[in-house]
Amino acid sequence: MRDTAHRDPFCNPAQGCGLTPKPKATSSDGTAVASGCRETRADDVVTDHATWIKACAAGDKSALQALMTAEGGRMFGVAQRMLRRIDLAEDAVQDAFVLIWKRSHQFDPSRGSARGWVYTILRNRCLTMLRNEDRVQPIGPEAMESAINDQDLDTAFDRLDQTDDLRRCLERLDLQTRRAILSSYVLGHSHGEIAGRMAAPLGSVKSWVRRGLTKLRECLS
Amino acid sequence: MTDRSLDLLIDEVALGLADDADIARLDRMAQADPAIAARLDQARQRLLALDDTADALPLPEGFWSRLEARLDAEEATTPPAAPQPAQQNVVELSSIRNAMHRWRATAVAGMAAALMLGVMLAWVALSRPEPAVIAVLLNDAGEAIALVEGLPDNTTRITLLERQNVAADQVMQVWTKPEEDGPPVSLGLLSTGRSSTLTIDGLPTPRPQQLYEITFEPAGGSPTQLPTGPILGKGLAKEPVT
Repeated sequence: MRDTAHRDPFCNPAQGCGLTPKPKATSSDGTAVASGCRETRADDVVTDHATWIKACAAGDKSALQALMTAEGGRMFGVAQRMLRRIDLAEDAVQDAFVLIWKRSHQFDPSRGSARGWVYTILRNRCLTMLRNEDRVQPIGPEAMESAINDQDLDTAFDRLDQTDDLRRCLERLDLQTRRAILSSYVLGHSHGEIAGRMAAPLGSVKSWVRRGLTKLRECLS
Repeated sequence: MTDRSLDLLIDEVALGLADDADIARLDRMAQADPAIAARLDQARQRLLALDDTADALPLPEGFWSRLEARLDAEEATTPPAAPQPAQQNVVELSSIRNAMHRWRATAVAGMAAALMLGVMLAWVALSRPEPAVIAVLLNDAGEAIALVEGLPDNTTRITLLERQNVAADQVMQVWTKPEEDGPPVSLGLLSTGRSSTLTIDGLPTPRPQQLYEITFEPAGGSPTQLPTGPILGKGLAKEPVT
């Protein structure tokens, strides 16, 4: 079950949610620290993210900083879960923000949610680092890695909201297929890595995943 | 590509399992077709809840200053997206000044866009250049399906004479043979499925009797750089009488 710390801590309605909300509760160099505000409606979050990205396109750095305050911590968590190393995770999040800044003029709110856009950029950066760069090495012995991975997958699944359709539909998949799908999204594993960890042939893994994805899509639509 | 395999491609890209070639292929398809872009976004949106299951971790000390330094370095090498006054780097900007910057940037961008549109309209109206050659492309049944005008600078205007039903995973590609015995060369894609003007560098001025052809190719264009798909129509160019 996710606790309140998993909600987006931003935008206190009492202080107004203008075009560029002042980044709150930042340390001297602007690095985000916990904000006191917890109650935020999902709609507000969506609107703010889109507004910040648009302001970035107009050259407003404080909008990027606001986005960092609101979303940076979660992005850092996503990157660490995939890359397994704090230094690489920081690189990935830094790269993502630079890309967000540079591509902000390409963002089209009519084509999708702003948060989704932000996380797509981050995830793609993490995946590129995982796939193309030799420097990403496991931190410990393989058995230990694998236990941590499984734990991460179960935590991810458990933290999905009980009412979330994605949870309901993932629940309908058999354990192996669910783990395969979760480990590619949550841990950034490739088909080959999933096959290696499950000690299953690559071809079978590919077809499990495909069947799983088809079921998932049908269940969600 | 069937709709089913397109769905899978979309899902695998959203999940992070697709390889670079597949990602690039879907990217091109999504750029050409808003419906595919919307499906991809939907697939990503469905999985977004999983990102929220990661812990929100405090960013390392000095994260913003390092990021800001990188942005400044980027800006020094590439021109900024919008004009910015020099005081932008002062830390304590009042929100009013911020609003002013945005307003000014928007206004300047708007005026620039209007000016450019005006110039372009005038240019199009005053100087529609004369084609060096014109070809009428015919299909197998002998019906005219497109008019091709080849300009001396190898700009090619294609006017479709019939609306074509192009499958979602296909695109119309325009070809020509600059040399009679040489290989066909792609002039570009009609990715919107409508009449279009294509430009290409490095080809000789089109000549009479030059072959033009439109084929159906997989989205993103022929993978072999040569026509592979069925031919929509073809025709030989002639010099217009002026």
